[in-house]
Amino acid sequence: MKPLMLQGHERAITQIKYNREGDLLFSAAKDAKPNVWWSLNGERLGTFNGHGGVVWCLDVDWQSIHLITGGGDSSCRLWDLETGKNIATIKTNSSVRTCNFSYSAYQAAYTTDKAMGHPCEVFIIDTRTIDDSISSASPILKWEITDSKVTSMIWGSLDETIITGHEAGDLIQWDLRTGKKIHSIKEHTRQINDMQLSRDGTMFITASKDQTAKLFDTSSLELLKEYKTERPVNSAALSPILDHVVLGGGQDAMEVTTTSTRQGKFDARFFHLVFEEEFGRVKGHFGPINSLAFHPDGRSYASGGEDGYVRVQSFDQAYFDYTFDYNRD
Amino acid sequence: MAKKKGDEKVNQTIHSDNEEQNFDEEPNFDDSEGFVDDIQDEELLADLLEQKPKESDGYENVIVVDGCPQVGPERLEKLQSVINKIFGKFGTIVNEYYPTTENGLTTGYIFLEYSNPQNAAEAVTATNNCKLDKQHTFLVNLFTDFKKYENIPAEWEPPAPQPFKVQSDLQWYLMDPDAYDQFLVGIGTGVGLQVWQNALPEPTLLQERPNWTETYAVWSPLGTYLATFHWRGVALWAGPKFTQFQKFYHPEARFISFSPCENYIVTFSPAGDRGDDKKLIIWDIRTGQEKRSFPPPDEYVTWPIFRWSKDDRFFARLGTDVLSVYETPGFGLLDKKSIKIPGIRDFCWSPTDNVLAYWVAEEKDVPARVTLLEIPNRAETRSKNLFSVADCKIHWQKSGDYLCVKVDRYSKLKKDKNELKYSGMYYNFEIFHMREKEVPVDSVEIKEPIQAFAWEPVGSKFAIIHGDQANVQVSFYQVNTGQAPTLLKKLAGSFNHVFWSPQGQFVVLANFGLTGGALEFLDTNDFTIMNVADHYQMSGIEWDPTGRYVVTGVSSLKCKMDCGYYIWSFQGKILRRVMKEGFAQFHWRPRPPTLLSEKQQKDIKKNLKKYYPQFESKDRMRSTKASKELVAKRTEQMKRHREYRETKQREWADQRARRLELRGYVDTDADTAAAAGDGNAVEEVVEFFVKEEQTVID
Repeated sequence: MKPLMLQGHERAITQIKYNREGDLLFSAAKDAKPNVWWSLNGERLGTFNGHGGVVWCLDVDWQSIHLITGGGDSSCRLWDLETGKNIATIKTNSSVRTCNFSYSAYQAAYTTDKAMGHPCEVFIIDTRTIDDSISSASPILKWEITDSKVTSMIWGSLDETIITGHEAGDLIQWDLRTGKKIHSIKEHTRQINDMQLSRDGTMFITASKDQTAKLFDTSSLELLKEYKTERPVNSAALSPILDHVVLGGGQDAMEVTTTSTRQGKFDARFFHLVFEEEFGRVKGHFGPINSLAFHPDGRSYASGGEDGYVRVQSFDQAYFDYTFDYNRD
Repeated sequence: MAKKKGDEKVNQTIHSDNEEQNFDEEPNFDDSEGFVDDIQDEELLADLLEQKPKESDGYENVIVVDGCPQVGPERLEKLQSVINKIFGKFGTIVNEYYPTTENGLTTGYIFLEYSNPQNAAEAVTATNNCKLDKQHTFLVNLFTDFKKYENIPAEWEPPAPQPFKVQSDLQWYLMDPDAYDQFLVGIGTGVGLQVWQNALPEPTLLQERPNWTETYAVWSPLGTYLATFHWRGVALWAGPKFTQFQKFYHPEARFISFSPCENYIVTFSPAGDRGDDKKLIIWDIRTGQEKRSFPPPDEYVTWPIFRWSKDDRFFARLGTDVLSVYETPGFGLLDKKSIKIPGIRDFCWSPTDNVLAYWVAEEKDVPARVTLLEIPNRAETRSKNLFSVADCKIHWQKSGDYLCVKVDRYSKLKKDKNELKYSGMYYNFEIFHMREKEVPVDSVEIKEPIQAFAWEPVGSKFAIIHGDQANVQVSFYQVNTGQAPTLLKKLAGSFNHVFWSPQGQFVVLANFGLTGGALEFLDTNDFTIMNVADHYQMSGIEWDPTGRYVVTGVSSLKCKMDCGYYIWSFQGKILRRVMKEGFAQFHWRPRPPTLLSEKQQKDIKKNLKKYYPQFESKDRMRSTKASKELVAKRTEQMKRHREYRETKQREWADQRARRLELRGYVDTDADTAAAAGDGNAVEEVVEFFVKEEQTVID
């Protein structure tokens, strides 16, 4: 099917996310205005105006009431989703690289960059009641990351842990009651660009600059699977209904001029979750893919690229019919 | 600064004054009476004792050089300088002795002492049996060897017969029942080599060695040997295990060429230190013997310097106004003299006969000329004069049936100081019909710049790529008896290389270069385009020797990204993509020409339908076997994954209460389940405002 082209950003897309129901699609880009779209027809519902620069990350709570964004203007902002109003703005010392609501959305976490003489820090804030007071309230918990900076982050199960992915390729699981490390592993050799949970949160997939994506167990951080490509992987997502994985990436933005789209390295690539075999590619972007998300119903997916477009692609029947040969008993 | 220095000096003098004042009284250092020293020398001076002269010292450092020229005292100095020059290369000569006879002549043998035994041993291995000049050959021994020879028993014992060493089968790669071809993959510059067998359904790795060569590796022309380069020389590998077959000591050899029948190998070491007249060496492959060596070429020349006739009987080398043809196995000049050809620019042997073609440049009023020369009788079988010639290129067809000379011609010539400037270029292709009486010559003229020319290896077609960058065309011609070549087909497309299948008929057109990569697979019988594909930034193409497969590659030497190779069928179907970091070279293992007679080959072609089902069923069996293995592997993976998921789902179910608590007792697990296909979801209709239209009705 012809993909929907969501054209509304002036610069490279940084992160896209569906809400829990899947009717809304949120996108953040290097321009200052995150967008929200109807996922069904690609119509733009509105923008969230207020950031003064790059927006690196966003997340929506499970009830689709609030949105949290973080950006290069050294702020983490909370928005009222319905009106697009900026409810609270938390000033930080450096860029906000990642931000996420917890499962309950009673808390949110965000991390800042190591820059301008400030260390990389992780903050946990209370978001039970969201109003302007959050702007000045001190976080529930905050700690400093002394080694390589956090480049991606997710909440662990039951709001008890968070897992951070680092610039050097480390994965660290933190206990939120103490702020101490529980597990620390290094399965990637280079920056972890993205982490996404499976539908039930028991597994998550990482996307790394070392040209691989890997599947881990959320509670033990045990490495389960590995998906190899020949380009840096910027994002990876797990299908909610099938044993499928989609990977997106491409050459670094600064090296893109030496690459042509003809080479097909900007494709979204589909792998089988268990067999680690590639079975399909979707072309379209003319720059690397920066963020990918499966629709919660598993019947379409969206990709946001360095080219500034968000493409929503529904799957044909052939996608669902395709099977791998193996003994099913 | 200067001032500071002065200050220091002053200080020093004061200091020394102080020291002098300290010589008041000397304590007594003498041992008390009856003192026994319990410290051994070894403990105190272990490092010094190591250098203590030993009885065996010296002998090993001495070499005896026999076979030197015998000279009188007046020329002794000259001899000494020559000897020092030759033997000084292996180390410092600390001592030399030239024994003389009563009348002052040197005896012809001399003694040289090096500073260590290693140098001496090196000198012996390198110079023993080396020719100094025509009359003198060095016989070099270690001095200690003489002791060894003294002990030779008076009675001779016949040597025990050596057990017969089974020579590994050099042709083993041709005995494969499925006639799979092999190929070589080089990774990194001078790092690993892999030899693969192009088996179905997947190639199998036969041999892989890291650091097998230092630069690159090549197959010999018939595929028997694999040649690798090392700092000490060149090594040949052969047999099923790729054991070392022969090595040729030629330090820093950079170029090699094989004779067509694999009897000889030429090595060229532009920077080697084996002496100036040892830059180019011809070796016998089987025995490893050095057959003849040559000084390096005077100027820049194209490799190979020596070009061989098809049967290894002759090899020739181009000189200024001269063509030197040498004969094997004597390795002397044919008829003891070179052939004088004033103005000779280039030559090339026929691939099938002892005939060579050369061309002579234009000189004032004398036209340029292409000549066919028969060797060894030096008969000119055909020559053709050509006018206004800027350059010529000689292209033999692989079956030796035709010869094409591409002639670059000009309409205007301008002399700019010492430089010649040609303008109004056009191109002639002179086609010599070698198999016809008196070798008739046809000509094809093209007025556009030429990108490439290639003969069909078997058959009578040739392809020319011509035109400007913007408008490139490929023309296919057919050579006919008794009439001019006919144009068969003209195709457009931005190609700059033509690759014919070794069996003829099929051709791959390609575009190399930074943005290139376009490929076209063509059947020249009816000029159907079988497939159009691309391999981005491809830097090389090679047909397998049977004409069944084509490989395109991106070498890491040309391009840093996406290095690797693709294997295609001759019809342009992609069979395999291999991405390999550091991929540098790919070579199919050549095959010797077929032993089947033409009639046998024809019969096989005629009965192809009969063989077809046999091979087809074999292929099918192989692929089902492979897929069975894959299915088994997947089944196992799936089983393990299922087990993992079951434990996880149990865990997840156990946590349900806590999840409910976290989301204020709103059950959101349901839509996870619904998404998984439970079908409990409620359908919701969403209406969108699409557009508003106003139509005026009158």
